[in-house]
Amino acid sequence: MTKAPVTTGDAVRGKARRARPARLLSRTSKITMWGGLALALVVYLLFGIGPMIGNVIISFTDYTQLAWATTHVVGFANYASMFTSQSTAFYQSIVTTVVFTLAVTLGQSALGLLLAHKLVGDSKWAAVGRLLVFVPIALGVTIVGLVWIMIFDPAQGPATSFFGLFGVHSAFLGADGWALGIVIFVQIWQNAGFSTLVFIGGLRAIDPSLYEAGAMDGIGTWRRLRKITFPLLAPSVTANVMLALVGAFTTYNLIYVLTGGGSSYGTQTLGMLAFNDAFGVNAETNLGYGAAVTVALFVMTLVVATPVLIYLRGRERRLLR
Amino acid sequence: MLVNKRSLLTGLLAVAVAAAAAACSSGGSSNASGGGSGSSTLKIITWVNPPTITAFKQIDAEFEKANPGIKVTLQTAANVNGPYKTLAQQAVNSGSADIITYNFPFQPLPPNPSQSNETPVQYWGTNGAFLSLSGQSFLSDYTPTALASQTYQGKTYGLLSGVYQQGVFYNKAIFAQYHLSVPTTYNEFIALCKTLQSHGVQPLYTALGGVGPVYLQFIYNEAMADLWTPTAPGGNLASDLIHGTVKWTDPAFVQAMTEEKTVASYLEPNYTGIPWQDMAGGGEFTSGKAAMQLDGTWDMASDHLANPKLQIGFFPLPFSNVAADNQPIVQPDLAFYVLSHAQNQAAALKWLKFFSTPSIYAQYVNTTGISSAQTSGTFNGFSASAIGSWFGKGVNVNNMMPVMSPSNGPNDQTATWPNLQLQVIQGKLSPAKAAAEYQADWKTAS
Repeated sequence: MTKAPVTTGDAVRGKARRARPARLLSRTSKITMWGGLALALVVYLLFGIGPMIGNVIISFTDYTQLAWATTHVVGFANYASMFTSQSTAFYQSIVTTVVFTLAVTLGQSALGLLLAHKLVGDSKWAAVGRLLVFVPIALGVTIVGLVWIMIFDPAQGPATSFFGLFGVHSAFLGADGWALGIVIFVQIWQNAGFSTLVFIGGLRAIDPSLYEAGAMDGIGTWRRLRKITFPLLAPSVTANVMLALVGAFTTYNLIYVLTGGGSSYGTQTLGMLAFNDAFGVNAETNLGYGAAVTVALFVMTLVVATPVLIYLRGRERRLLR
Repeated sequence: MLVNKRSLLTGLLAVAVAAAAAACSSGGSSNASGGGSGSSTLKIITWVNPPTITAFKQIDAEFEKANPGIKVTLQTAANVNGPYKTLAQQAVNSGSADIITYNFPFQPLPPNPSQSNETPVQYWGTNGAFLSLSGQSFLSDYTPTALASQTYQGKTYGLLSGVYQQGVFYNKAIFAQYHLSVPTTYNEFIALCKTLQSHGVQPLYTALGGVGPVYLQFIYNEAMADLWTPTAPGGNLASDLIHGTVKWTDPAFVQAMTEEKTVASYLEPNYTGIPWQDMAGGGEFTSGKAAMQLDGTWDMASDHLANPKLQIGFFPLPFSNVAADNQPIVQPDLAFYVLSHAQNQAAALKWLKFFSTPSIYAQYVNTTGISSAQTSGTFNGFSASAIGSWFGKGVNVNNMMPVMSPSNGPNDQTATWPNLQLQVIQGKLSPAKAAAEYQADWKTAS
């Protein structure tokens, strides 16, 4: 039995039945989108991933960046040094990093939330306040550092007069304990503005009807904060805590400006140690060892930040479901 | 619409590529000799130190006048640390400069010199990056000590421009007011400090803020030079320590640290936090509140500039009660090196010869406040007048403080060695315990 031939009419009707799916983006838009993404990816690979891989490779060498010198592969010698000949400085810097990171993360987040609470409104003063809290970030590390050095100058700085009223006299940035405390304070001061803006965004996303319902039920300010505001700010808390945590782990530039970056007075974090060893507080540079320290810093950041992120995301899911 | 968006994207990409190409091409400026008929360019690199830059510019202008066919280009970096290290590395890598300057010591070399324990200038000098200056006529103008500091295996690779000295700057007016004489022994010095204190005058001033305990060198260098160096069996304390013929636990060093603590007790309160820049003007010494400043003579010109009415004198910080043992510390400073692959070596050597002529060299010394490294000369700059009979004299710090090997323990690294000194001075560690810790971390040369 022969098969009936397909006529032109059948083919046209078939095409009409097999309608094309609707397009969300035009062809031009797709080209622009993929082109932009590709450009961003290339830049990220060139200036992010590439140097990171290079850093890991350098950590297995004795590279000093010294002109006319040859570089040798030394295997795990740099990593071994951290736990042997350089162990004192390495362990101390871990302790300093933990203290610094914990204090900055908690302090910056708490201050950011407090300021956000006060500056979330639509009044002119709230707008001015939001501008002012962001100024320290815009000033940059060098200006911020130099200003606070002048403030904490033991000879003629205003901090000397202020603390003198309470009978407290200190070398401030030249004193154990004080130096790390001041560095933590300045780090929080400079970055609290960013945390504030993130929390303001979170506060504004909260449905006002929830507060109205709470008011009708007669709940007070503190319960409102605990039962409504804080749980609904979970995504903002996650963002702020993670940014403050990772930022604090990797900070070295502010410490360098404030204290000169040396190993005295207890301000040498892992990031500062990597800088000092890589680029030489001495005449010699040791980029290979400095690179190894940055790899250790990366691992430490990952080890600490990953469970914190898992916990905070889990908390978000619990609170917002 | 389609054409406009594509054109826009293409245009943006083209602009980005062109900008990147322009940025990449700007770093490779050529300094090859050339230009007009028979003219050449001499390139010198250094870091910014205002009096030194002033001096170089004067010298370059006079050199060009005396050598019409040579144009001098002076390239500077913001400071001697990171920015200049990078500039020097680039110059040595590419041969893009003819003369580089450096103030890190060339000699003494570590016992077994290698890439891992040499400073950059030591590595370059021992590996052929510098042209040997041996045989050049202008070397005879310099002292044997100055030449030795730049010599390796019988060849001289650098030209030392001068030395700075460490000691005590004192306010002559305050001394005159309280009828005080310049002390020559330790006991006289402590008595003088007590007298000043009794009159409500701050005896001593120094500032460690931003640099850390390394600036205690103005105390511990002098203590070691006055009390320990005279007893060194080989006459060179640094060498004796490196080879183990002297130990850090030597009683002379323990005594030195004990006396350091006493001397430091007369410093201003909270000196560890006062910015080090105040020593170059703006601090208690230049404002007339402190009678003496522990410092290096590189700050003398700046102090004079900050307060021209201040009458400054100089003497070595005495830690010994044998007056003859008390000497200032001499620290070789800026040296010139001609790159072995420089494009204009002939002009570089001409410039160094010109620099070494008595009138030009005196001009350099008077402008910078550096102490002379030449065998003779008349110097009437402020620093020379203030330093007086001690000008250019003293114990070479490189013959006293040994090179710290990276393989030493944590307390005997260049960056951390001063930390124990601060602990002793602050009373947190006894001198004997500090000496024991230094010795425990020390590795002698095999």
